[in-house]
Amino acid sequence: MKLFPVIILLTLCHQSLIAQNVLISNKAAVSFFSSTIVEDIEGKSAVGSSAIDAKTGDIIFKVPNTSFQFKKKLMQEHFNENYMESEKYPFSEFKGKLDRPIDLNSNGTYRANVVGKLTVHGVTKDYKTTADISVNNGTMTAKSVFKVKVADHNIKIPTLVFKNIAEIVEVRINALYQPKK
Amino acid sequence: MKKTITLALLFSAFYSYGQVELEQALSTNTNGHEKVSATFKSTRLINGHTNETIHKNELDFKVDHRFGDIAGSNGGLRQFFGLDNSTDIRIGFEYGLSDKLTIGLARAKGATTVQQLYEGSLKYKLLEQTVDGHVPVAITLFGSNTIAAVRANREDPTSATAYENFGDRMNYVAQMIIARKFNSNFSFVLSPTYVHRNFTVFRDQNDLFAIGAGGRAKLSKRMALVIDYFLPFRNDEDKAYLEQVGNRKFYNPLGVGLEIETGGHVFHLNFTNATAIQEVQYITETTSSWTKGQYRWGFGISRRFTLGKE
Repeated sequence: MKLFPVIILLTLCHQSLIAQNVLISNKAAVSFFSSTIVEDIEGKSAVGSSAIDAKTGDIIFKVPNTSFQFKKKLMQEHFNENYMESEKYPFSEFKGKLDRPIDLNSNGTYRANVVGKLTVHGVTKDYKTTADISVNNGTMTAKSVFKVKVADHNIKIPTLVFKNIAEIVEVRINALYQPKK
Repeated sequence: MKKTITLALLFSAFYSYGQVELEQALSTNTNGHEKVSATFKSTRLINGHTNETIHKNELDFKVDHRFGDIAGSNGGLRQFFGLDNSTDIRIGFEYGLSDKLTIGLARAKGATTVQQLYEGSLKYKLLEQTVDGHVPVAITLFGSNTIAAVRANREDPTSATAYENFGDRMNYVAQMIIARKFNSNFSFVLSPTYVHRNFTVFRDQNDLFAIGAGGRAKLSKRMALVIDYFLPFRNDEDKAYLEQVGNRKFYNPLGVGLEIETGGHVFHLNFTNATAIQEVQYITETTSSWTKGQYRWGFGISRRFTLGKE
């Protein structure tokens, strides 16, 4: 029973700690790139949102699928309608953890390993990637590049356009985080 | 030792708690009143228009074909179920001047005696449905002018082509297309239509109102069942005269088809009693009936090209 006050204390501390250490990003850039001999396709969103706990390294990232912009409008329509099924699965999401805490009090640049779960098209997969993090006067930027195998997320490419869409697309993320107010 | 485990458990509890907290911290960006996209896959169902227009700098090339009667007195094996005859053929180009405004040019054979048709059209997205239901329906306006280039019939002044001047060859269509995407699998369209023909066969109506209705139900991600129907509101006296004296009985055009989409191409395989493809003809002059076996096989192929800078 000696533990009880400790729990209370921890809970309280933890709550306040989280509030202090959470950084958020509202206009994160998320893009993906598919390259084949026939065609290069790029989708860009500038409204990804993310939150990170600098102390624990917990990170969450969310982007609305309909926010991706394409050079060809018809592609955008097909992306939402045929591949992502955005009405059924409106968001793509990543929940994970950095392998190290981030010290917001000292400026610096470092690379962190990130592990977590990526949910795209309703299918969740384990992912491991790296993120380049730089801290500058209490704000933080994170950049990451990783590859997603389209078939992993149950996104089927019909044979007719098989040559136009890459089996593995590269996802690029660039986010600026600011302390949560 | 026990304490350590409890503490560890406690922390792991906090770990997940942290995730939840983070999720709450996330302000999910809503794109305001996001517009519904792809209510329909194509600018047309079978006979009728959908609310869809062509995106800016995109060109849509569309070929439509209607064959002869499958069954009935003019069909059957002798005519190879209509494939020996084509009642109408249409080749059209549509270009997106903006995401809302489409300009179109087409040439159709014409299914009645009024033939060699040239069509110029404008289609404008007046209102777009939004995902959050703020705007419940989409409204698109369509207007076209069809010019008949067929040689004027000088012998019979009561015929549909007894043109006296160039103005007689003009035919206009104005349509308000009201559409709603109920969910990703079902979309519906209602189209009050006004057709004006400057010249018609004796006692036919120059002005005709009609209402069109149609829908699309997805069978799979790329295949859908499409259906459309037009109900013209004829003047009873003129209708009776044409039926009795002109021996022409009118039927309402009904089309049923399969829509197949393959990324850039949209194929329509359909059956309809309408012999014509142009609004000015299938709404006003469908004289073939489903019940008499006078329905035909038809197809449409649409291909989109992206022009302009990438």
